[in-house]
Amino acid sequence: MQTRMFETPNERELLSASAAVLQDLGFQIEESQREVGLLRAAKERSAREYSQYAERAFFFFLSLGKVVQPVDLHQKIAASLVSRPLNSEATRQEIRIVFYRVVWKGDGQVDNQYIPPGTQYMEMVRDPEIYQQFFAKLSKAVFLEAHRI
Amino acid sequence: MQTTILYAGVLLAGTLFLHGCAAPEVKQDLFAPTDAQMKIRSLQTRTFDLTDRNAAIRGAIASLQDLGFIIERANEGLGLVTAARFAEPNYYDVVTVTVTVRHDSPKKMSIRANAIYNNKPIDDPKVYQNFFAALQRALFLSQESNPSP
Repeated sequence: MQTRMFETPNERELLSASAAVLQDLGFQIEESQREVGLLRAAKERSAREYSQYAERAFFFFLSLGKVVQPVDLHQKIAASLVSRPLNSEATRQEIRIVFYRVVWKGDGQVDNQYIPPGTQYMEMVRDPEIYQQFFAKLSKAVFLEAHRI
Repeated sequence: MQTTILYAGVLLAGTLFLHGCAAPEVKQDLFAPTDAQMKIRSLQTRTFDLTDRNAAIRGAIASLQDLGFIIERANEGLGLVTAARFAEPNYYDVVTVTVTVRHDSPKKMSIRANAIYNNKPIDDPKVYQNFFAALQRALFLSQESNPSP
């Protein structure tokens, strides 16, 4: 899911195209290392979801106003991308990208105990569509087919 | 009677106050190497028959990715790779690894992995054995069992 193979000797171009695609997707490049083929990018967005507010209201009424569940407020979506030549002649390159997100929660309350805001948790993005979308854009950008491995 | 108690109280407060002012004594062996350090270092280090440093760094990156780590930082010049992941299924715990690659001699490469669980260094040999097994798979190489001195 995270990996695709490209038939090209030009690793550098593949990396810069990847950077461009990530930028198109709204990411900001945080770090790049051409020598080892690493890119790190991130974007910050709101993480508010209607369903969580609905759930919060439901439990609020169910517990007669004693439980206020914290909801997700803010998230940082990050990507770590590594390119690597697959054979010794370096005519094939492999691109592997990992998306993950860090979410910050708001405040809440259970009975008399106040839950301060700022609790954070992290999760890997496991939705294949996100990866497909990225690789579709990347193969368009380099005019090459992205082969599954 | 009461003045005695008062006097004693003032004296006690004074001693406590003065004690707070005294600078803690610096231990002389603060930077001295210990046996445990040397032991951990030998656990963390393996020597490989390799000449290409860049390939070794890329191999380390690939094996870390295979183990589910997110590459956070890499530096070709220093031969450094830093990666992290959650200690699944405990999503609140994080494992961080730093891998250093350096030339031992022109034909030998010494690779050191440094793993930290939350904020505690991992000194279990098994963990490092597993990592080096994965690294070896990524490098397809024969490995010397004896670490560098």
